[in-house]
Amino acid sequence: MPAAAVCTDKFRTTAEAMARLHGFDGYRFVAVPHPIASLELPELASLAAATLNEVLAIWEVGE
Amino acid sequence: MTTRTTTGAASDHPVEDKLIDHRQVRRAIEYYYEHGFTDGLPVVPPTESYVAEFLDQVDRAPDEVVAVMAHLNRECTVRIAAVNAIMAGCLPEYFPVVLGILDAMRLDVGARGATRFSSGLWQSTTGTVPITVVNGPVRLRLGFNSQGNVFGPGFRPNATIGRALRLIAMNALGIEPHVLDQSTQSNPAKYTCCIAENEEESPWAPLSVDAGFGPETSTVSLMMMRSCMHIEARSATRPEYLLADIANSVSRTGTLYSELSSCLVVVSPEHAHLLASHGWGKPQVREYLAEHAVCTREAMERAGKIGVSRDMHWLVPAEHPDALAGAEPKFERRGGTDVHRVLSSPDDVVIVVAGAANAGVSTVIDLMGAASSPSGRTGGMTPAISEIYSKDAAATA
Repeated sequence: MPAAAVCTDKFRTTAEAMARLHGFDGYRFVAVPHPIASLELPELASLAAATLNEVLAIWEVGE
Repeated sequence: MTTRTTTGAASDHPVEDKLIDHRQVRRAIEYYYEHGFTDGLPVVPPTESYVAEFLDQVDRAPDEVVAVMAHLNRECTVRIAAVNAIMAGCLPEYFPVVLGILDAMRLDVGARGATRFSSGLWQSTTGTVPITVVNGPVRLRLGFNSQGNVFGPGFRPNATIGRALRLIAMNALGIEPHVLDQSTQSNPAKYTCCIAENEEESPWAPLSVDAGFGPETSTVSLMMMRSCMHIEARSATRPEYLLADIANSVSRTGTLYSELSSCLVVVSPEHAHLLASHGWGKPQVREYLAEHAVCTREAMERAGKIGVSRDMHWLVPAEHPDALAGAEPKFERRGGTDVHRVLSSPDDVVIVVAGAANAGVSTVIDLMGAASSPSGRTGGMTPAISEIYSKDAAATA
């Protein structure tokens, strides 16, 4: 199943470190602007729409 | 139990220059800073001969793995633990206690090799901090402080054993701030947090005996702390007055990220004797708190914690995009008011007696997790307890 990891940009450093630890240096993931936990639904929808192409780009590479 | 031997003004006893080259000392100290091996404070430079003294305290192979963070592909051996214990300022005879803590970390292995205490809890934005409680004769033999200033400075075993755990986490397991340690703020206990139970001034059996160990067995108990709150109840004349203060602190909305919480209550000897003199044992205290640590619907609505999120079951505003439709915490009707119990059972309360017998003050520590949670996840609520072994078991036991 195609998958793409998404996190907020404040976790970029940790995400990169975790990928390195598991032997996946340079692992691609999508980093969206922080925060998301306190966003209303319209803001989330807008963020998801703006992020979609990045997610698809990772899927295409995976294929 | 433990009396500090120095009093009065600040000491002025520099090491004699003729005995040691201060430039070499400075170079050694700076070496560890330059390599990122400190917690911000200077460390004791470990030498091979000193490491050997530590290893000689335990009957374990230097390359035995004693701590594992499977999700990080990291582990720590006995030898690396010794190196970090030295750096933290431990004495060789403290090393069995350090290994006892690491043994406790490996208890309760669950799915994929993770345990309750060797998990992402160490990296959480919550800033979760390990707190260790030492019981049994080892407290007296090594000079742990269990009395006044029990959470404070001044006592080498407390200060350095807790610090050893932090240095192991940073240096051996790689959990460094700003990288794998994602704490938003954490709390000062992250430098060190190791206390001993004041068994001598407690009216109750100690934590280790509650867990089934004999009173002559030395143990260390590990829990994961979120925050530490001071309870002022100096004039409480009845158990219910004191326990109302504690219940109120346990159930404040600020502590609730999910429906349920759990706590370690560090009861001062004065408070413990107030409770005991009215016939209250630890089971009664636990049951009372489980019953009375409640949050009203109004308070939870006001704080935007009346909805329940989908996968994590965290408390969110009812209108939050991640709120499960129609889901809310479990309420019960009391005196015309809807209240929510924040403790799932008396098992969510851990009780230890520590501190000086000089005032009616105690401490409530928010722990991570609960005995049972709606999401079925378990956290680090009940302590993981390990016996402390050394080569000379008779001396340690």
